[in-house]
Amino acid sequence: MMAPFSHTATGKKAAMALRSQLAQGAKFLLGLWMAGVIVAMFVIIPQYEGLGDAGRIIIMHVPTAWVTSLAFVVSGVFSALYLFRRRVSDDASAVAAAEVGFLFCILATATGAIFAQIVWGVFWNWDPRETSILVLLLIYAAYFALRSAIDDDNRKRRLGAVYNLFAAVTMPFLLFVAPRLADSSLHPNCAFIQGSQCDGITLELSGARIGLLGDSKLELKSLERQGDLVVADVNVTRPGYQVENHRPSFDLASGKPADRPEFDGEQFMLAVEQVDLATGTARLNIEAPGSGLLGNSRTLLTFFASMIGFTALFVWLYRLRAQLLMGEEWLAQRERTYGFPS
Amino acid sequence: MIDSDQTTSESTLIAKNNVQVSSLKPQAPSLAAATLAVFRKDLRIELRSRYALNALLLFAVSTVVAISLGLGPIAPRDNRDLKLIQAALMWVALLFAAFTGLARAFVQEEDTRTATALRLAAPPLAVYLGKLLFNLLLLLVLDAVIAALFIAMLRVGVGAPLMFAAVLAVGSCALVAATTLIAAIIARASAKGALFAVLSFPLLIPPLVVAIRGTAFALEGESWAVGAAPIQVLLAYTLALFVASLFLFKSVWEA
Repeated sequence: MMAPFSHTATGKKAAMALRSQLAQGAKFLLGLWMAGVIVAMFVIIPQYEGLGDAGRIIIMHVPTAWVTSLAFVVSGVFSALYLFRRRVSDDASAVAAAEVGFLFCILATATGAIFAQIVWGVFWNWDPRETSILVLLLIYAAYFALRSAIDDDNRKRRLGAVYNLFAAVTMPFLLFVAPRLADSSLHPNCAFIQGSQCDGITLELSGARIGLLGDSKLELKSLERQGDLVVADVNVTRPGYQVENHRPSFDLASGKPADRPEFDGEQFMLAVEQVDLATGTARLNIEAPGSGLLGNSRTLLTFFASMIGFTALFVWLYRLRAQLLMGEEWLAQRERTYGFPS
Repeated sequence: MIDSDQTTSESTLIAKNNVQVSSLKPQAPSLAAATLAVFRKDLRIELRSRYALNALLLFAVSTVVAISLGLGPIAPRDNRDLKLIQAALMWVALLFAAFTGLARAFVQEEDTRTATALRLAAPPLAVYLGKLLFNLLLLLVLDAVIAALFIAMLRVGVGAPLMFAAVLAVGSCALVAATTLIAAIIARASAKGALFAVLSFPLLIPPLVVAIRGTAFALEGESWAVGAAPIQVLLAYTLALFVASLFLFKSVWEA
């Protein structure tokens, strides 16, 4: 009778020992991986033209934002599981995922704001992604506030899970609404030019040929049609710079700007947003760089390595935290059953 | 076991769950009848004390007066975005007035310790629907008052009155669909007042933004082709949160 029992017990012990060894190994590997990503971020990937060293932040910033949304989904799934199965471990996982997600949400917001200030000149612009991450931050905070305001453990778990799921229902609407909030996203944007308007400036060949866009003086010299393209000849005078000549173009077939030449400082681009050949008018605007950051293969690989590393980091962190929460619960239960150890 | 001053409609409901009380077993009321009974009870209690109504209306009046005093009359020529600013101010006033009054329906049940009796007397769905209707009525009254005050005191010109009314009504539906479940949640927690605003606000950002845009369209007198889009989004939001609430309310009510 005893033999098989003890046999399974030793088998279980061996399996647990193996698991803990594997976990140790995975932890070690993860540490190495993240260290490699950080080294690659500063050493291997090239500077992005126009952004300089500030562009490197993408390796940290985007994965933190990704982990934030992943954590929200994981937390929602565990909340639903808790409402179905009423297992304390599911609730512990939901809380743990939300806590780790909250941490990464703060990191993503902070790194994003720093980057925006350096490159675009504003900490905050109500960009769609900024809006959704802020709402996510508020939801996480509200979830913790709710949990801390309820004393009874079971009620706390149920109401927390309900709120988490209810908040998840509003997410698709946020993703739908947020992009429509700002007229344009931060990527090609205008907010960084002091005193400018998002609409750009309309110049006429036969009328007002010279206009002020922010601090820059633009002069439209000619409009020339080349097939489907209209090429504008523009002189740009920026404070502290020589007069520059640029030839941005506009694609009549697609109705979109075609070629956007970069300024000599390589921070901004000049674009023709609308053109009317009959009256000889063109709407010009100055845009910021930002897209095409991942065009380089070394950057792309480092970026993916970072995404994988951060995702693994998240899984490790939230499982660790869930185990701690379960330990707390176990201690509380023992206390309830046996009283305080004297 | 039940307060003696409950209304008659409630006593029939209560009797349903205490079959032994009377030898004559009353027929179980339909969901609609139970919902209406809860709604009528809330309305009657509200009309007796007028707590929520007073809080909402006085809050609305003080907000509008504060805005009006702060801004003075804005000359239409001065600002291109005037309509958008007016719409935003109006929804901010509405939102904060709603935060002060909409939690009342559930909080009052906990305060007067009648929640348990209500749990026995009516099915959870009827409680939810009844309170939802009551909150909607409260908010529509608030809408009318705030709109009238804005038009009178801030000289807001309404270009398309019908669309204006529609956006306000649908926006209120969205607000109520989101906050009624939250009110039920916070009724079980401590620090109820502050928590209600904290929990509701993140969920109300999408409908709020859409409603402000829609109201601005209506104030500018845009055509229905433009104005229908915000109304559709608000309806979809209302429907999604309403269905989610129907699923989740039982968990909250019985927690």
